[in-house]
Amino acid sequence: MKLIDRHNFISVVCVSFTLVVCGKLFLEKISGFTDRFYTENIFTCLLVCILATFIISLHYYLQNLPFIAVMIGQYILLIGIIFGGIFVLGQVSDIAPTAYKDMFVSVTVPYVLGAALYYISFFWQIKKANEIFSKL
Amino acid sequence: MKLIKTKEEYITENYLELHYDTIDEETVGVLDRLRSALKYIEGTMDGKKQTVPLADIFYFETVDRKTFGYTRDCCIEISMTLQTIIDEYTDSGFVRISKSSIVNLYKIKKLQGDLNMRTLIYLKNDECLVMNRGYRKEFYEALNKLQGKRGK
Repeated sequence: MKLIDRHNFISVVCVSFTLVVCGKLFLEKISGFTDRFYTENIFTCLLVCILATFIISLHYYLQNLPFIAVMIGQYILLIGIIFGGIFVLGQVSDIAPTAYKDMFVSVTVPYVLGAALYYISFFWQIKKANEIFSKL
Repeated sequence: MKLIKTKEEYITENYLELHYDTIDEETVGVLDRLRSALKYIEGTMDGKKQTVPLADIFYFETVDRKTFGYTRDCCIEISMTLQTIIDEYTDSGFVRISKSSIVNLYKIKKLQGDLNMRTLIYLKNDECLVMNRGYRKEFYEALNKLQGKRGK
């Protein structure tokens, strides 16, 4: 079953974009940081959300491959496209000296958290199912 | 509705008999559950026709476009596709776990996960089947439905 398909693609992008932007604003508020490139960064968040949703939606077609390989492959593809985008952007305009590091952190942290949650929910489901089977 | 159990020695097969004047809702419910539990499936083994209680089947598998049903001690070839089996016997506890196999939830001993997020299904006859990630949702939905039924 496809978790992300063409019918819910835009809504998944919208929800993840909202969560990312709310997280960004929350972190800025508690750390007292002022974003000088606010508009650019908001559009970057949107692009990353679209890209990440697209790459994760490919997961359905890769179900016969080992999960770890798929997870790492999707991460490398995502971070590769983002770094490529930063490189191209760097050719036509000024970018922050920490652009690569910032994007690496911004992509890696939610990706690792998401993967960890996915893993935990997988083993939790198995534990719950075994409790049911012991009573059957 | 009363349940009366009577021990009869030397009968060849256990049987249930229903005595009724009118069939009420409670009886209909019991009959529905019994019907799904007492289904039989026809197939061939060594060229001979065989009838096996559906409840004895551990899992169905398709090999070379042929469908086989496996019990504790035999394997019968069935002239049904996996999709037909799922359509007809989902209520009896059968659920798809991969493109080529269907398992009987009542025959599962335990599940085990591996690092690649494949779920290993250990059956009560100590066989092990592998569930693909794509069928996880369907599997857990069927399990929850079954648990809900038993809770009623």
